[in-house]
Amino acid sequence: MSPFGVGTACWESSLSTGADLNFEDTSADGVRAARPIDWDAKAELGKKGHRSLDPLTKYLIAAAKHAIAAAKLKNDDELVINKSRMGVASATAYGSLDAIAELNRVAELEAPRYINPQRFPNTVINAAAGYVSIWEGLEGPNTTVVDGNCGALDAVLVASTHLGTGRVDAMLVGGGEVASDPLCHALSRLGQSAVAKSEGDGTWHLGEGAAYLVVESPEHAQSRGQEVIASIVGYGTSFDPPSHEGLLHASARAVQEAIENALASAGVSAADIDLLVPAESAVGPFAKAEADALSTLQIGARRLHLRKHIGETFGASGVFGMSAAIAEGTQNTLALVITIGFYGNASAVLLQT
Amino acid sequence: MPPCSLDKASSDVPGTKQVQNNEHQLSSPKESQRVTRITLNRPIGLFFQGYKGFQAHLESLAQSRQTFYSSRVRVYVTGVGAVSSLGLGKSEFGAALARGQVAAAPVEHFDTSDLEREVACEVKGFSPEDHLTAQERARMGRCSQMAVAAARFAVSDAGLDQNDKLAGARTSVVIGTTMGEANLLGSLDRTWIHEGASAVERARIPRYGTTLLPIHVARAFGARGLVSTLPAACAAGNYAIGFARDLIASGHADRVICGASEVIEKLQYAGFVRLGAMAKDLCRPFDRDREGLLVGEGAGMLVLESERAVVEREATPLAEVLGYGLACDAYHITRPHPEGTGSKRALVDAIFRSGLSPKDVDFVNAHGTATPANDVVEAAVLEAVFGLDAENKVSPLVTSLKGMIGHCMGAASALEAVSCVLTLNDGIIPPTVNHAHTDDACSKLRLVQNKAKQADVKVLLNNSLAFGGYDAAVCFSKPDVAPPPSDRPGASSQPAPGIDL
Repeated sequence: MSPFGVGTACWESSLSTGADLNFEDTSADGVRAARPIDWDAKAELGKKGHRSLDPLTKYLIAAAKHAIAAAKLKNDDELVINKSRMGVASATAYGSLDAIAELNRVAELEAPRYINPQRFPNTVINAAAGYVSIWEGLEGPNTTVVDGNCGALDAVLVASTHLGTGRVDAMLVGGGEVASDPLCHALSRLGQSAVAKSEGDGTWHLGEGAAYLVVESPEHAQSRGQEVIASIVGYGTSFDPPSHEGLLHASARAVQEAIENALASAGVSAADIDLLVPAESAVGPFAKAEADALSTLQIGARRLHLRKHIGETFGASGVFGMSAAIAEGTQNTLALVITIGFYGNASAVLLQT
Repeated sequence: MPPCSLDKASSDVPGTKQVQNNEHQLSSPKESQRVTRITLNRPIGLFFQGYKGFQAHLESLAQSRQTFYSSRVRVYVTGVGAVSSLGLGKSEFGAALARGQVAAAPVEHFDTSDLEREVACEVKGFSPEDHLTAQERARMGRCSQMAVAAARFAVSDAGLDQNDKLAGARTSVVIGTTMGEANLLGSLDRTWIHEGASAVERARIPRYGTTLLPIHVARAFGARGLVSTLPAACAAGNYAIGFARDLIASGHADRVICGASEVIEKLQYAGFVRLGAMAKDLCRPFDRDREGLLVGEGAGMLVLESERAVVEREATPLAEVLGYGLACDAYHITRPHPEGTGSKRALVDAIFRSGLSPKDVDFVNAHGTATPANDVVEAAVLEAVFGLDAENKVSPLVTSLKGMIGHCMGAASALEAVSCVLTLNDGIIPPTVNHAHTDDACSKLRLVQNKAKQADVKVLLNNSLAFGGYDAAVCFSKPDVAPPPSDRPGASSQPAPGIDL
């Protein structure tokens, strides 16, 4: 469920043609957003049962349905693998803001006793991923990861841990983000000065949607005759505690170490990288920190400027990055996906197509 | 090997000393770095006789023989810390639990007059200035403040506050929560709603991020590994502890500060009232006359260390984190599955991955929320897993702390884990308070009622269920009483066909 639209076909074709998205004004000054084109919740989820769900949850469920179908994990709506051995690792940074603001509005402008109990679960951060398991009948471990912009790549570590310890045979890995009113107003309030001058008018461009990858061991995929479209071969992360007393911290050191850790875990060098999906944050110091790290490591691979295509997707940026690498990578492409957090952390994943 | 990478090779180098009575100590670099392939060459199946679910686990394991890398190293708890409604630090917290003290009191943090409920278990004795610098206080919301304070208690308890061993890439921080900085977000929302976005104080906005909980803790100690927030609602503490255990066992970290933190916010309070889940005055777990939960708050933190890290600094472990189990009901967003299918699997997996059998479990810290649905389902689950019989010959003792500290949501299982570690060390099982008449449906539980009980607890389980259908259980033991990691199964939790788990 990308800003380009529903499903992987439009994702791949839009990436390859470099299609421009229509970022629309939001209710907040200086913040524009691109939402999935032609999104129709009823078409994706059916006519009933989702009225009380928030937008993020609907995107996640739809993305899960598409990923499961693409991986041929269901036959006549029944999982073809043991349902207790398929889990979810799902990231978001600001996923429940909208639901919380909605109920706070009811509580403040009417009275707390008018809060809709059916919508109260939406205020719980992990509820969105929980609904994915409910809708898809996945009884394996369900984990939500909120690591800021690094969430979806850190979800890869959760999934690999669950696979490696034999808890699951397959995992949905990814996440989603929504350009909600409270998020847009918060970014607007933070000011245009935070946005890189490279953005031209200093406007935030947000992308909205969700994506999942189906991850399983090669042996498991092979045992059920499923084609492997990419391998996750490396993961690394790093946190660089700031020496200042502030909160925001753009750290080239964290980015560099995250990449180095990913490279070391994959047993490859920077020179082996064929395709790079950088974070390219809209916020100047973070873009510079990443650029400095890439320069230090002398990574000169072809770059996919995804963030400029689809906008800032925060917690979901890692899964969109991995999806883009898979879509763009030709055979035997080694792709590096980078995410950089606002508070001093960074994560990286290496994929082999 | 770099920290937090996908490499499956262990970072543990040969230990310089043997852990006392620790026959499994790794003996060579080659051995320590090898991915262990489990073979069922010990009669572990004997432990599981009489319980078809476990036998099924064994059979499926024998069939699969998967590579399993978390079996190589013991993971110890070396320090615990608490910020709770019953006191700060493990001594105050433990002593109050042992007394059966009840924290329930009228809410002071916000107005409840509209809600027909007025009681909660708030943390009232926490002064941030006693635990945090002015700069730290300025950049943190209350949830993070409690998390950092609890972490400092835990680090001090572990004897790691006087050195720099937590600094660097080999220390990670994993924190659970339900809503994170809910007070801060509520305040921002109220300003926005009543005064408009332009009135929202700009500098306060970046303090909200839920991702900040582990960031603040990592900054406090110079940790540079993974910093991760796992929002898993009321199972978040167990989620964080379990994942932290795996990070160490798989070689991604030597030390992990883990746990959970939660604050009470009016929205949550109102939400539980609107769900019909809130009691009027007292929380009465497993009681016939229970009315529901009382919300609580606080932070519970643990320092986990690898076996090698403990040996190297000659530390004394408080407990061992054995196996843990995770499952999802995939049934309802707020209600547990009526047959507790996911909870059963989580508990079974926790025991199974510990290389133990149900009869080895001396005590279960139950989720015990005192909602009608939870307690009946949980009692049935414990009956199924432990095969409780009328004479209760082999069943574990059970208690719920929620009558005393309320339901601390994300922090619940973390604070309960702190209590579990204390029980393993002092042999005191805190009581299930406010208990008058056990619900018939819960009558087979060996509840520790109203007064704490002294018992030689060697192995225990910390059980939790949560919104989202989450089920998580963690098995703790006294150090080195469980089978060595190399002998523990765990490659598969796949039930065999026909097994009713």
